Amino acid sequence: MQEQIVTLIRLDLLFETIGGIIALMVAYYATKAFNLTGQKRLSDLSTGFLVLAAGLFSHVGGTWYFFVRLGVEGELTPDLTRLIVLITVVYHLLRMMAYILFVVSTRRSMPTKQHEMVVLLALPVLIDINLEILTIIILLVVVLQAFMNYAVIRSRYALYVLTGFSMFLLSHLFLILAGDNVGTYLLSQAFQLLGFIAFLVMLYKAGRE
Amino acid sequence: MKAKRTYRSKMRILADMMRAIQGEGENGAGPTKILYTANLSHDRLTQYLEELAEKELIILTHAESNNRVYALTEKGREFLKEFVRVERISEAFGIEI
Repeated sequence: MQEQIVTLIRLDLLFETIGGIIALMVAYYATKAFNLTGQKRLSDLSTGFLVLAAGLFSHVGGTWYFFVRLGVEGELTPDLTRLIVLITVVYHLLRMMAYILFVVSTRRSMPTKQHEMVVLLALPVLIDINLEILTIIILLVVVLQAFMNYAVIRSRYALYVLTGFSMFLLSHLFLILAGDNVGTYLLSQAFQLLGFIAFLVMLYKAGRE
Repeated sequence: MKAKRTYRSKMRILADMMRAIQGEGENGAGPTKILYTANLSHDRLTQYLEELAEKELIILTHAESNNRVYALTEKGREFLKEFVRVERISEAFGIEI
């Protein structure tokens, strides 16, 4: 059983590494678009995907480090417990910040004042409630905005973006439902990967068609 | 209630002009065609045509005759291709450029 869990966690880290690479690719194209057009919201979008990639890579790196130390020390010490809690909190905070940046950058109306965004970025630190539920609420806004955008422009590229964000939302919903169930946890990771693949397909098709 | 008026960015105007030229194929397009297709005033048209030519994105053919015709350069075709990609990605996220 222990061996099976370790294998599944390795698979989860592989999914997150692939997701992180795709997030960096989206950030690269968003930066390129920002340099060409000077549109500030593209810069926010790029930062969002960069923060998301940072969250994924820190989780992958941190989890590997945890397993290496667990192998050396042989048992779950208080130090190791603190480490895994820290890795998880950093991971959640970075993802939440990324989603907040998506809320700011993808809404169709005019962007608001800068100070409002700073307050939004501080929210995860200021509000002491379950991080995952808060993440789902933020992501729900992102998905709604992506849906409204698709409803207005009806382009297949917007549909890929809607699919990507919807997969992220499903991923977080499954994560909440997972509890101790490793299978559901892996399903959540699979949905996240599918979301990143939707973004990758969008990037590829936007350049080819 | 007044309808909200949206303005095109300069980059989009330049891209629209280049699209108008590309739309005419290998022969290129005259100023009138570009003016109507890109929906510009005459002053703006002259200013932006000069800018595009300076950046070597378009080239003036038949410069000696009265019928001026503009064609896309290789650099211009590459730029337009890149702009279309950027435009699709931006619009997919609901960002107007």
